[in-house]
Amino acid sequence: MSGAIILALRLILAVALYGFLGWALLVLWRDIRRQGISLANRRVPSINLTVRHGRGSPIVKNFSQPEITLGRDPGSDIPLIDDTVSTRHAQLTYHHNQWWLEDLSSTNGTTLNQTAVTMPTVLTAGDEIQCGDTRLIVNLSTNTLVSPTQKLEKKR
Amino acid sequence: MHDKKQSLLLRWAALFLFVQSTILTLSPAVRERTWNVDYRLSHWVGFLAWAVLIIIAHRATVKYLPERDPYLLPAAAMLSGWGMLTIWRLDEAFGIRQTMWLGISIIIFILALSNQQKIITFLRRYKYVLLSSGLLITALTLIFGTNPLGIGPRLWLGCCGIYFQPSEPLKLLLVIYLSAYLADRINIHLSSLPLLIPTLVVTGLALLLLLVQRDLGTASIFICIFTIAIFLYTGKRRVLLIAALFLSTALVIGYFSIDIINIRVEGWLDPWADPSGKSYQIVQSLLAVANGGIIGRGIGIGSPLLVPVAISDFIFAAIAEETGLVGTIGLLALIWLILSRGLIASLRAADAFRRYLAAGIVTYLGIQSLLIIGGNLRLFPLTGVTLPFVSYGGSSLLTSFIALFLLLTISNVEDEEPAPLQNPKPYTLLAGMLALGLVAIALTSAWWAIVRAPDMLNRTDNPRRSIADRYVPRGKLLDRNNQPINVTEGESGTYERVYLYPDLASITGYTQPVYGQAGLEATLDDYLRGLQGNPSSLIWWDHLLYGTPPPGLDVRLSLSLTLQSKADQLLGGHAGAIILMNAETGEILTMASHPTYDPNKLSEEGEALAQNTSAPLVNRATQGLYPIGTAMQPLIQAKFGQAKPTDAELKAYYQKLGLFQAPVLNMPVAFDIGTDSTQNLKVSPLQMSLAAALLSHDGIVPAPRIATAVNTPEQGWVVLPAEKMPVEVIQAEAANEAALSFIAKGKSYWNHVGQASADDKIFTWLLAGTLPDWKGAPLVLVVTLEENNIFLANYIGDTIFDAALNQ
Repeated sequence: MSGAIILALRLILAVALYGFLGWALLVLWRDIRRQGISLANRRVPSINLTVRHGRGSPIVKNFSQPEITLGRDPGSDIPLIDDTVSTRHAQLTYHHNQWWLEDLSSTNGTTLNQTAVTMPTVLTAGDEIQCGDTRLIVNLSTNTLVSPTQKLEKKR
Repeated sequence: MHDKKQSLLLRWAALFLFVQSTILTLSPAVRERTWNVDYRLSHWVGFLAWAVLIIIAHRATVKYLPERDPYLLPAAAMLSGWGMLTIWRLDEAFGIRQTMWLGISIIIFILALSNQQKIITFLRRYKYVLLSSGLLITALTLIFGTNPLGIGPRLWLGCCGIYFQPSEPLKLLLVIYLSAYLADRINIHLSSLPLLIPTLVVTGLALLLLLVQRDLGTASIFICIFTIAIFLYTGKRRVLLIAALFLSTALVIGYFSIDIINIRVEGWLDPWADPSGKSYQIVQSLLAVANGGIIGRGIGIGSPLLVPVAISDFIFAAIAEETGLVGTIGLLALIWLILSRGLIASLRAADAFRRYLAAGIVTYLGIQSLLIIGGNLRLFPLTGVTLPFVSYGGSSLLTSFIALFLLLTISNVEDEEPAPLQNPKPYTLLAGMLALGLVAIALTSAWWAIVRAPDMLNRTDNPRRSIADRYVPRGKLLDRNNQPINVTEGESGTYERVYLYPDLASITGYTQPVYGQAGLEATLDDYLRGLQGNPSSLIWWDHLLYGTPPPGLDVRLSLSLTLQSKADQLLGGHAGAIILMNAETGEILTMASHPTYDPNKLSEEGEALAQNTSAPLVNRATQGLYPIGTAMQPLIQAKFGQAKPTDAELKAYYQKLGLFQAPVLNMPVAFDIGTDSTQNLKVSPLQMSLAAALLSHDGIVPAPRIATAVNTPEQGWVVLPAEKMPVEVIQAEAANEAALSFIAKGKSYWNHVGQASADDKIFTWLLAGTLPDWKGAPLVLVVTLEENNIFLANYIGDTIFDAALNQ
């Protein structure tokens, strides 16, 4: 009799041990899922770039992806037909709730508001980017500073 | 969110430990199979202390580390509670101490939490001061060192009953030093060797100190920590290769020059060579794991105390025995949870120092766990280190909790961007190596607990069998009229074998914890122990519930105690043997062998008995071999008449009579292996009596029997048949004729006295048997005396035969 009771307790003991582990795994899995969903939900605030080559007429381009590349490469997000621009010249990336400009070791360099870009630099509205003979004016939409993830977290 | 996850996991841990404590409380009832026992209650103090301390620690982490990793504290709490309860179960005095150490560790843990930022900066700045004071304190053990157990390496500093092992925190100090040193040089891309010289010098110094101390487990952990740190810094795999080569060379050199390494390596390579000496610990540890099986024997129901130092070095074996493979895999998963979350904290760390520190701590915890568990399972040579969080030991527990504090602090990053990482491969590889190690350990556990368990548990040096004998009644040995011969007396927990008819000792044998088993107690062990004759479902169920076989079954022997006592009286102080057998059925009615001994006094006299030159432990009736001499005369006459047989004919006849082979009987028997000639042939009294039986039963040699029936729970008494068929050797008429020509004067039976000599010693044989016209059961008697005494042989023969026939 005592043996049977203890056997039941021994089974409960195993359940508790694996309950702990199972619960830990479940929570870990939920973390991963939540992280994935929150990343998927994170919308990049749109950015407007006014591209002007030399004295040509300006073209306005609108982007909503987190990475924008500039260069002579036709596959670039902003293909530039300009001999003073390198194949992969510069890129704009969105992280830490901000747009960053980075020069990709281009031959003629990139400037931001007439200052050479040597390290990733934060962009603000109205900034002027110069790649070779091409000028780009940055125009950010108004809700840039509050990202959806932050909104979500505040609601919780 | 983090707080909720952490508190939920802690509740699971509390449930686990609560159930564990409950099982431990009730376990004496299962052991003794009655509710009327002393229940174990003292460990509840430990459980309550654990609960209070962990609640406080949980609150402190909520307050000081809002963004910490929520898995680390629950996993560490579970491991430390599990270890503490295991120590309470093994030894209450150490349980109290471990509980106190847990209290001290958690208080220091909380104090550290309230000053976390300062501590991290302090550690980084004063790395050299810290490590050198650590080394200095360790060096003090060379002069003031003691060992709390009184023997073994003196690695502790102590006073007034409190001992501290400086080499435990030294590991952590080395990790801190290496992390700080390497983090300061992270951006200097010089050739790496000159850069590493200071670390080499410091680590070398520490190693030297540990080698002088003979603390080889810690020394190998140092090498591993150093290697992994350099590997994480440089990202070059050849570092691992060089370290592996270095370690194996050191192992080979140590094997030939340092005693303790030699012992450990030999115990690892071939533990079966010296299971009671050099590899006693490891064999006992493996036996414990094997006894645990898949679900374990239950907390408090196994026998983990048989493993030496079960509270610290071999705590894994103790856990494996009582919680089984289910428990050990859970334990390994908990260790993996700490290691993997630690590595994630390392990768998320805000700067290089924290990153190296977290990875170093993971290495230290991981390698130490792998080394000691692998040592317990014979995966690696044994190293005397502790299992972090689990093993007994204040210094070990405190160091583990400081490591936990550092990991938790490092994991506490608020949405900061982690420090850049140039090469992620070393971290992936480290995680892979640790995971692989844990998987290898899980598979090794399964190997010993499932595949090898049956062999292991049947080993004669498995003390669990004799422990089970104290709790489960062993079957009785009864004579043919159900008179008890050997019985078990006492109550569950104190069962003891009692030998009611000690003169039969050399035949029925003994069962004893130190000297093992002999005689019928050994050959009938499976019945007497309940492993044979019981339904297999009952055996399985009892093993599952109690870890013991079911109650043993009684075995009835063919012996008759009335005739037996007569034979023992007659033989008295003379060396020799008597066998009285039913010539038709082969049942042995009497078997005496003198000199004999008293198995009730075996524990006091066992050693002297084994040394005794008159060999009282030998059963002369079945194992004593004596020259034939003229004893065979009636048998030769029955076959060949007055003609003299050739040697070949005689040999063929002896062959048929079974004199060249062992009789088939379920007790130890002997036969003359050394010769195949008829001249120097020696036979046992049993062989002789089987041959002589043909004169009293129509020329047929019977198959001998001594155990005739077993009392099973389902079918009552079940007959144990003879294991061989009777053989007709000569014609019935010839046998009868020969018997009649040897009629004893004035008696109703035949007899013959023969003599033989070997090694200047004269032996006397007496053969006797019933006549062909005897209406009762045909009997045959053989008396062998190790002296020249025809008178005594005749007297014994007449007295026993008269008694047997008039019964």
